[in-house]
Amino acid sequence: MPLLEIRNLVVRYGEIEALRGVTIAVEQGQVVTLLGANGAGKSTTLRAISGLAKPASGDIIFDGHSIAGLGPEAIVRLGISHVPEGRRVFPGLTVKENIMLGASNRKVPASQISREADAMFDLFPDIRAFSNALGWTLSGGQLQMVAVARGLMAKPRLLLLDEPSLGLAPVIVQAVFRIISQIRKDTTVLLVEQNARMGLSVADHGFVLETGRIVLGGKPDELWGNEAIAAAYLGGHAKAHA
Amino acid sequence: MDLVLQLLFTGIGIGAVYALVALGFVLIFRATNVVNFAQGEFSMVAAYLMVVFSVDLGWPYWLSFLIALAGMALFGVIFNLGVYYPLRNRTYLPVIIATIGASILLSNSVLAIYGPQPQVLQGWFDTPGIQLGPVYLDSQYLLIIAVTILLVLFNFWFFEKTLLGKKLQATSQDKEMASLLGISVSTMIMITFIYSAVLGGLAGILVAPVLFVSIQMGSTIALKAFAATIIGGFGDVAGAIVGGLALGVIETFGAAYVSVPYKDGFAFLVLIAFLVFRPQGIFGERVAEKA
Repeated sequence: MPLLEIRNLVVRYGEIEALRGVTIAVEQGQVVTLLGANGAGKSTTLRAISGLAKPASGDIIFDGHSIAGLGPEAIVRLGISHVPEGRRVFPGLTVKENIMLGASNRKVPASQISREADAMFDLFPDIRAFSNALGWTLSGGQLQMVAVARGLMAKPRLLLLDEPSLGLAPVIVQAVFRIISQIRKDTTVLLVEQNARMGLSVADHGFVLETGRIVLGGKPDELWGNEAIAAAYLGGHAKAHA
Repeated sequence: MDLVLQLLFTGIGIGAVYALVALGFVLIFRATNVVNFAQGEFSMVAAYLMVVFSVDLGWPYWLSFLIALAGMALFGVIFNLGVYYPLRNRTYLPVIIATIGASILLSNSVLAIYGPQPQVLQGWFDTPGIQLGPVYLDSQYLLIIAVTILLVLFNFWFFEKTLLGKKLQATSQDKEMASLLGISVSTMIMITFIYSAVLGGLAGILVAPVLFVSIQMGSTIALKAFAATIIGGFGDVAGAIVGGLALGVIETFGAAYVSVPYKDGFAFLVLIAFLVFRPQGIFGERVAEKA
């Protein structure tokens, strides 16, 4: 049984149908990457899973139970942590406070959360020195590290990562993806990426979204071997659909 | 010089009341992005609760005080559920109108019960005050200043040192992200309303023996407190406190040296000057923090 299964998911924003029947499965222990152009529905898929967007129809099954229609506070308690687009690090709180708040879905004493946050800096040594810096003072790469560290503090069984490479310098992108390949040892990851090469380099499985529908799915090798996807990401094909 | 010290004491005393109400304004504004136009009525309701328990029922002052504050906590819950919560997913405009409506409803309900004549509430202490060198320290103003200092310290500890305080801050900075982390946004907003109602209530109870207890007392205090938040820098906690104290001192000196009838005018002159020359207030609105 997959850890996460999405069946015929439809999400509407007013009149606009952002997802038009998306079906994907994420197996326990995998890294699954959702690829697609801007506006294809990648972020909406993650927002529906974490409860920020309400499904119009279809189902989202996590660990055998439907979570469609639950609120984000309830879903993160079940063990799905969403690191959203734009990092959304609290600007007026320090790095350590941001990371500590990642454990808000668990009932543990503050002293333990503080120790766990300190331990998080072992995985993210680049932000250790900024522990007491306020969120708004950080660079894009540092914000991304804080956002992922905060997401991991929830001790998620499934981590949703939305465009972790967006707007980052190539060397920082590589650092972020090194971290993803470390995280995957303990956590199942559903990754949304525009950078297909990076996205598939860490993935066990990939799906391609176009205008709210899954048009392709398979192992990274198969996807790269597919002429359509190669065309979509190396040529202008995907843009024509977006 | 003696007069200056005396005026400074009185100014800080009355400014402390503005600071408490202003703090309530800012906390609700940060949590909900809405200015609560019924904030002054929180003070008025609490002062009338004191009249009910301490004067009408004749209960001991300290007991009436505790019950009135507990009543304000409950009032904060009811206010949130009745005024803010049903409109929480709407734009700010319906919420603001709802708070104005609540303000009118509250003052007219009290008017219906107590009538227009002001009520008198005794101060906490029997001794009117103490002479300290050239300055006469009124006991009620001393109490107001002491309570305000304690509350400012508590406020700092609560928001900077506790995890709950951090969750409240996170909620005021980005509600959607807070909910993604498992922070119960509706609980955080409920706590904010309770805390603001108790702060406003405390201000009302403390200032009641200095002023009269009347249905207008809320709007008078709230107007000054609102001016204080703008002078201090809207949305800024430290700004609300400094702005409140500054306003109290300015209007006290203005009344003493220029004109008593224009006492309220000075406060608003300063407000206008700030709006024209430094609209971001003393502390400025740190734009990044509001992102």
